[in-house]
Amino acid sequence: MKIAVCVKRVPDSETRVKISPDGKSLDEAGVKFVLNPYDEFAVEEALRRKEKAGSGEVAVFCLGPAAAQETIRTALAMGADRGVLLQTDKIPADPYETAKLIAAALKPDTWDLILFGRMAIDDYNHQIGSLVAQLLDLPCVTAVSHLDIQGAKGVAEREIEGGIEVLEFPLPAVVTADKGLNEPRYPALKGIMAAKKKPLEIKPVQPAAGGMEIVALAPPAERKEGKIVGEGAAAVGELVRLLREEAKVL
Amino acid sequence: MANQKQGDGSREQFIPARYQPSLPLDKLIIQDGSEGAGDRMDLDVLIVGAGPAGLACAIALAQLANADGSELNIGVLEKAEALGEHSLSGAVVNPRALRELFPDLKDSDFPFRMPVSRETVYLLTKRGRLRLPTPPTMHNRGYYVASLCELVRWLGGKAEALGVNVFTGFPAAQLLVRDSAVVGVRTAPAGLDRDGNPTAGGAAPNDLVAKVTALAEGTRGLLAQTWCQWQRVPSDNPQIFALGVKELWETKQPLDRVIHTLGWPLPNDAFGGSFIYPLEPNLVALGLVVGLDYRDSTLDVHQLLQTLKRHPLLADLLAGGEMVEWGAKTIPEGGFFALPERRAGDGVVVLGDAAGFVDVPSLKGIHYAIQSGIYAARAIFQNLQTGASLAEYDRLVNASYVARDLYRTRNMRLGFRDGFYLGGLRAALMTLTGGRFPGGKYAMHADAEVARHVGAETASNGGVSKVDAVFKSGNATRDTIPSHLIARGDVPPEVARFYSHMCPAGVYEAGDGGGSLRINAPNCVDCKATDVLGPRWTPREGGSGPKYKRM
Repeated sequence: MKIAVCVKRVPDSETRVKISPDGKSLDEAGVKFVLNPYDEFAVEEALRRKEKAGSGEVAVFCLGPAAAQETIRTALAMGADRGVLLQTDKIPADPYETAKLIAAALKPDTWDLILFGRMAIDDYNHQIGSLVAQLLDLPCVTAVSHLDIQGAKGVAEREIEGGIEVLEFPLPAVVTADKGLNEPRYPALKGIMAAKKKPLEIKPVQPAAGGMEIVALAPPAERKEGKIVGEGAAAVGELVRLLREEAKVL
Repeated sequence: MANQKQGDGSREQFIPARYQPSLPLDKLIIQDGSEGAGDRMDLDVLIVGAGPAGLACAIALAQLANADGSELNIGVLEKAEALGEHSLSGAVVNPRALRELFPDLKDSDFPFRMPVSRETVYLLTKRGRLRLPTPPTMHNRGYYVASLCELVRWLGGKAEALGVNVFTGFPAAQLLVRDSAVVGVRTAPAGLDRDGNPTAGGAAPNDLVAKVTALAEGTRGLLAQTWCQWQRVPSDNPQIFALGVKELWETKQPLDRVIHTLGWPLPNDAFGGSFIYPLEPNLVALGLVVGLDYRDSTLDVHQLLQTLKRHPLLADLLAGGEMVEWGAKTIPEGGFFALPERRAGDGVVVLGDAAGFVDVPSLKGIHYAIQSGIYAARAIFQNLQTGASLAEYDRLVNASYVARDLYRTRNMRLGFRDGFYLGGLRAALMTLTGGRFPGGKYAMHADAEVARHVGAETASNGGVSKVDAVFKSGNATRDTIPSHLIARGDVPPEVARFYSHMCPAGVYEAGDGGGSLRINAPNCVDCKATDVLGPRWTPREGGSGPKYKRM
């Protein structure tokens, strides 16, 4: 199987991010970047599909700054075969512009499967996978939590409100990975060594500005400090009073 | 060494060593080729620990190989998920060893923060402060405030650029040996379930085999301890430790100087003090360091730091500010007489904090760690080229300023074993006599052999709780991993309470009435205090523990 996985370099979810003085971007000083967790599921799934098929190739595509080579190396250390960095210092705010560049990079090859994470944990856009599918004129199944490939046909399960949806689709197709699709492997020592020697092609790209612009970023409102009303049965009366009069939930 | 009643019959004491499991040498040392490993990798030189010592050794080795036109396969193992995430220090750094490692770079090229321009030492009382003359050993002009995390990340980048393989997320768990030679290490497995069974996504241990293994694990290094015990490498005194608890604050008020404090809130029979260092005028590292030979079983370094923060000196500085990071680490404080008699053996050298290259009176260890890495690299390179003995490493260290500095202050920390005021007097005399007073050496007990009075429980006095502290260390260890701490289940209530106060991360909880000991192992931030005084520490799966950013 020939599989492409598209990944993104994102701030670690444990990182405390700060907004830059311009009010429109993150201050990257001291921020640790990682492979987007949903993309890890996509990489793992690609590796398992290839291993199951017994042959093939897993290629990793990433649009981002030079430092995103590290992100690609993580996927190569897990076992992917080669990487392509679409290098730009500015990831466009408009997902359509990103999708156009990724689709253009994927287009020259024929893929059995193109995998994405269902979203990036930094911008929550959920868009690139679907847009790329449209641009390549391929079927697209999003937020897949179980995947089965039978010949030229795929069967996917999606967790929907109160149940599971099962879909059949023809290959080639675009699939975006949800949590629970698999348990991503730990990169092995040998994998880390091997990753250093795997091909990583760097292609500079110049994204257009597109139709969107980030006007402002704001941190979430600070949570108000809690208060301890008292302890034991004696506090119940006061608690009920506060819930009724102050919180107005009773 | 049973529980002793003192003469008055009212104060109980206990000796922590009595309740401490011994190092499981049979598990820690395995023959090369033993079953159970997944991958096996051959290297020329294996370095355990990507701290200043290990990375300096890797860099110096790669430089020597490059200059010689030879190729060396150098690997560095690091238990943290990413470079620097388990590194914590004050820190004021003497740039001397970095200048030697990078002769073409200027101080401004190093990842330092502010140069030290002003410094103050205070003796604190509960509300007041007395400015002391800065002891000669504590002069820091010409040095730099730095974050060890940042220094380590920078060194790691330099090492990788020179072709060194840095493997983060791989803790070394066992020594691989052949006869009396160290031939490498086995890493800790990953992905075990709570009962220690492998899971589907897990990874088996790896064997890394090398011609020379450098143990640069840092303070209270497990494999360094193991090797010294196994090869019966003695030291004049047992190694002793202090525990430092540190916070990083973004402050509203700027700070323009390096401050050290002595005295309050420490009891007179504890050795320690605080540091307050500006990384930037409004980014301040502060911490409290206390010798683990303290006498009161309920002394709690983390709580004492919270108390200290209410002193006007700190309260004014921190008002309106925010704590952005928290961490803890032990420091080897035994100095010259606690160094292992040799730090080189068959196929192995021991570097940096793992060897105990720390000078307490000047509060410095980072440049000694780097320097020991440079010397080890020279000895290892010769060994690989000509078969010369690794004892050259010991010779280089012994002939250097590392040994000289530690010798000059050889008794200073030890002089404080009998309390603060006598210690202060002794230290002054030692300084005046260039270290010759009092002659000989003060004999020390290992910290775990020092008797503890069963202290009174006091209510927490607020500040940052241990739960919040662990969160601010970035520790997100999954809570389904097996416990990595080896404890005796049958400790008496007073010992369980001793552990709960000793651990800054809230790992140990004494049950109601102190009856049972509960262990919240995932909270552990690898400070190693527990390994010094109580339950033994072993490595857990890679990437566990804290994720320090600017500590």
